[in-house]
Amino acid sequence: MSLGRFLVRRTLQGLLVVWGVITVVFVLRFLSPGDPVTFVAPLDASPELRQRIAADLGLNKPMHVQYADYLAGLLQGDMGYSYQRGLPANDIVLSRVPATVELAVASSIVAIVLSIPLGVVAATRRHSPADYGATLFSLVGISTPNFWLGIMLVLFLSVQLDLFPTSQRPVGFLEAWTHLIRFKLAGPSLSVPLDAGAFADDMGTWLWHITLPAVTLGTYFTALITRLTRSGMLDELGKEYVTAARAKGLPETLVRYRHALRNTLIPILTVLGLQLGTLIGGAVITEAVFAWPGLGSLLIDAINSRDWPIIQAALIVIGVSFVVINVAVDVVYGYLNPQVGYE
Amino acid sequence: MVSDRTWRNLTVELKRSHLAKLGVVLILFILLAATFAPLLAPHDPKQTNPGEANLPPLGFSETRTESTTVMEDGEITIVEEQVQVNAQMEHPLGTDHVGRDVLSRALFGARTSLIVGIGGTALAAMFGVIVGLVSGFYGGRIDDALMRIADIMLAFPSLVLAIALTGLWGQQSESIPDPFHELGLAPDMPAEIVIPSTIIAVVALVNWVWFARVARGEALSVRNEEYVKAARSVGASDLEILWRHVLPNSLTPILVLGTIQVAAIILLESSLSFLGFSGANLSWGLDIAQGRDYLSSSWWIATVPGAAIVIAVVGINLVGDWLRDALDPGIDQGEGGV
Repeated sequence: MSLGRFLVRRTLQGLLVVWGVITVVFVLRFLSPGDPVTFVAPLDASPELRQRIAADLGLNKPMHVQYADYLAGLLQGDMGYSYQRGLPANDIVLSRVPATVELAVASSIVAIVLSIPLGVVAATRRHSPADYGATLFSLVGISTPNFWLGIMLVLFLSVQLDLFPTSQRPVGFLEAWTHLIRFKLAGPSLSVPLDAGAFADDMGTWLWHITLPAVTLGTYFTALITRLTRSGMLDELGKEYVTAARAKGLPETLVRYRHALRNTLIPILTVLGLQLGTLIGGAVITEAVFAWPGLGSLLIDAINSRDWPIIQAALIVIGVSFVVINVAVDVVYGYLNPQVGYE
Repeated sequence: MVSDRTWRNLTVELKRSHLAKLGVVLILFILLAATFAPLLAPHDPKQTNPGEANLPPLGFSETRTESTTVMEDGEITIVEEQVQVNAQMEHPLGTDHVGRDVLSRALFGARTSLIVGIGGTALAAMFGVIVGLVSGFYGGRIDDALMRIADIMLAFPSLVLAIALTGLWGQQSESIPDPFHELGLAPDMPAEIVIPSTIIAVVALVNWVWFARVARGEALSVRNEEYVKAARSVGASDLEILWRHVLPNSLTPILVLGTIQVAAIILLESSLSFLGFSGANLSWGLDIAQGRDYLSSSWWIATVPGAAIVIAVVGINLVGDWLRDALDPGIDQGEGGV
């Protein structure tokens, strides 16, 4: 199948799933106990006031009309207004996206930078102390709940040694760059004078604050990829083409990295695609531990206060980005593995 | 049901692999702790005792600065004094901020984790396997429809969906009488075992898809085998064929997947409890959340239950590796822990 047709088909499938996600999220509200009005109205509200609030929120219409309104709103990019803050749910949810993306990207970088060398060393020096260390690390790493790991990191590195802050994100990655480059951020447009010193300060603060959350979220993936790299490399190094490459006198580093490692990376990518849900779920918990102002902590707050427009918007953003990333992974996979191609 | 060859593969692999042995030992340890918690625990895990709050574990006796407010002649002064706090034999792993015994809570917490882990996996497997077998065996439109539903389920990270469902639906739980208490063997212990039913239902709901996929693959692969055709030609009904021929052939990969899922669900339960979305009042995740507020003074409150989770999950993962290596069903791991 050509890339074009593959993209069209995969996108259509993705759209179907997105529609399913949107519908499930809508139905969820009707399946959940508790009248949203009670969370919005004052405690001593009269029945008339309650009815007026329900009418304002569109909650007194029949379910199918509400569903049509909801879909129509979504098509125009309107997800309603937060019950709690009265602001568009859209703006609130989008303002939280950068923090979650920063966390996910930073922890992926931590995981890839640490795990692949570790896995390669473990595979090429089998039964050495390094191999046993890597195996033990990956076993414990995939078995440790990340919220507990985060708390233990805070206990040792923040409380005892005072090396890192315990929580918060005082400045964002993009905000730091506004000191250096002019571009528009969502929200009030800032006109700060260009200032390299302020940029360095803010980047430092950002790095300092994101280190523990990124390590917390990244450890599971570091452990998982180390394990996959090790077993994949062992498989590849035992194959005939490697023996042939060695026999014709190729330097060992070339054999290992150009041939064996490259073939190991393809199945790793597949597993990572499957594990994206774990990354997003892990981000939610990590944000809760470190008061990191991303989508996850927003979702948990919204659930606790039954702020339905926010719950729906956050779930839709999470579900849709998950679908989009999966399609992207499939495309990259087809590119890297021409034998499979776009099927 | 289990063939001789399967047994031989399992024992050979167990003799060969030290990690598999370690896994079996750890699982037995956790199973014993959970089963006999009322007999093993030194104290009632829910018994508070403000006079013995924040006692350190054995070997960690410490001097603490305690400030007391004294009011004398209408003037308030804060007096700081150094107090020696000794660990007590009665509380080998210390006590929490309201004086509950940390070891007893860890032992009882194992019950909640295993009830949710095993119960949730069993429920997910039952539902997922039925859907998967029907889907793969009949194919066509039924298969398309069921697999699209599965895709939508997979579009939500399972933890996110579980948080939304438990957060919104509340946390119902049922209680059954504790047999040790009934028999009068542990009169000072809680009389009931709490079964967090909402959490069990939710973890099953977010995890059945993995079982459905594996069962579907197996059903697809045996659908056109000669023996299935033969069974059909002698008049066996679809249900009989599914039950007698297709299901037994799928058991190995389902068993391996089930083992890994118990570990994943234990992690999921602990995350939900940590966030406060739990129906159980004795749970490792809950204790970690409470201990977090006392990290700077009483580190053991959050540390002990977390170590218990790691022991349980390492054990189950090792046994999962053992089963996979011995039985080699050739499945991927699916969405793993947290």
